[in-house]
Amino acid sequence: MTWHRNDPALYEKEKAEVEAYFPDLHFVVENDIVYVRGSFPLMFEGRVLDRYSIELQLARNHPAGLPIVRETGGRIPRRLDRHILSNGTACVLIPDERWRLWPIGTSLLKYLTGPLHSFFLAQATVEEGRPWPFGQWAHGAKGTFQFYRELLNTSDLRMMTTYLDYLAAKKVKGHWPCPCRNGKKLRDCHVNQIKELREKISRKDAERSLAILKVAGESAIEMTEAYAPE
Amino acid sequence: MTADEYLKDVLASQALGDDSNEVKALQKHRADVEKLIRDSFKDTALTIRYAGSKAKGTMNKESYDLDIVSYVSSDDNTAGETLEDIYNNHKSALAKKYYVEPRGSALRLKGCDAENLGVDFHIDVVPGRFTDETQTDAYLYQSGGDKKRLKTNLDVHLDYVRDSDVIDAIRLAKLWKVRNALPIRTFVLELAVIKLLEKKKNKSLSAQMEHFWTELRDNSTNLTVEDPANPNGNDLSKCLDDNLKSQLADSAKRTLEQIDSSGWEAVYGKTEEQEKAARVEILRRAAAVATPSRPWLPEE
Repeated sequence: MTWHRNDPALYEKEKAEVEAYFPDLHFVVENDIVYVRGSFPLMFEGRVLDRYSIELQLARNHPAGLPIVRETGGRIPRRLDRHILSNGTACVLIPDERWRLWPIGTSLLKYLTGPLHSFFLAQATVEEGRPWPFGQWAHGAKGTFQFYRELLNTSDLRMMTTYLDYLAAKKVKGHWPCPCRNGKKLRDCHVNQIKELREKISRKDAERSLAILKVAGESAIEMTEAYAPE
Repeated sequence: MTADEYLKDVLASQALGDDSNEVKALQKHRADVEKLIRDSFKDTALTIRYAGSKAKGTMNKESYDLDIVSYVSSDDNTAGETLEDIYNNHKSALAKKYYVEPRGSALRLKGCDAENLGVDFHIDVVPGRFTDETQTDAYLYQSGGDKKRLKTNLDVHLDYVRDSDVIDAIRLAKLWKVRNALPIRTFVLELAVIKLLEKKKNKSLSAQMEHFWTELRDNSTNLTVEDPANPNGNDLSKCLDDNLKSQLADSAKRTLEQIDSSGWEAVYGKTEEQEKAARVEILRRAAAVATPSRPWLPEE
């Protein structure tokens, strides 16, 4: 059973909040999936700077899962350099960063006014021939490597994958060696950092990133070194 | 930015190069129209050419038409015995593919299929007949008015405007006409600009425009224009009557007041460059207070 039937009160709350703030966005349920469709305004200082036609397909396990976002107006080219897949899906954020941009427990409205607004604001800026205003992650493994390099402040792929191993594990034991590889046990070294990261990054996201980095291996680093982010 | 730099930007934003989508669409239409006419008059020696702003270099993006002349040789009756026959036969030929609206000497083409029903293609076809074998002067049929025959010379018209040295001022005056919905024929406006700026060719563009409007404001009642192709034959006074002169004077007065009180942008608005810069600036300001969020992409 999907979330809107499991929790009708949450559905009504999300719908009321979003439709009150964005009168041109509408909730529709089709084949047991909740969609939010319509014209998405980019607001600034009470003015509408621009509008994009969008469709959000809310995850069956919303709000735990991220929505699938599509730009339906055909305005943004379906190209990797615009972060739009050939099927029209927009890649708004790296899931591992969700805790910062749209923490679990916050409303769908926060997603729309937060990362989604920033995504389309960035698209409008790029459309004017300007660089991505907030930068961009490289695609695939390169972007994953970049993200964890910034988060963990290391370019050591082995250290990074150990951290991800610990984030993906069901439980973490204090006697395990610390991922910083200084020879100490975790309980005597970075245990608090690991605890904090496990609260932020879901096991599922950590597992996915770990798999991506393991498949890419050292090439993720080499490719990332060659890649100059804006 | 000086007034002259601003006016140059306005003109640049109104330019229609040969590689622009608008001109490419017009050229495609022109090819279709020419084929339609030639197929309909297979035995006729026709001269089909661009005329109007496309040929004169005075086209503005905001409002443009494509004029195509289709002239029959002086001794050729295959397209019609009389000027009226030539005009009507062209109309019938064009009606195979377009809805044709007679407009004076011209035939305005509009869409007549389901996809383009009533769409104005901004194309005027002007049928006519050369007066003699030199193929310079031509007679046009006039569907309205007392006089049914009009003598004209395309090359004289084109050269008169192209060699006027005030093309930029003409384009700005045309834009002013459009923005102020002034009911003056474009060719008459061009002649007025050339006449009023005859002794101001060495002045800056902004000075030329201010002079043009000052003359219209102060001396429009005395303004007359002559057709360079037929100075004594074609009476253009009806195209510049007292009512129109009064409208021109009022608009010119208002325009000069706008420049005086609010600057040139009050007349022609922000240029595309200025609008783009303003948009980029507001997007930058919006981004400065937005949640920094970087897009990512899993490998496809």
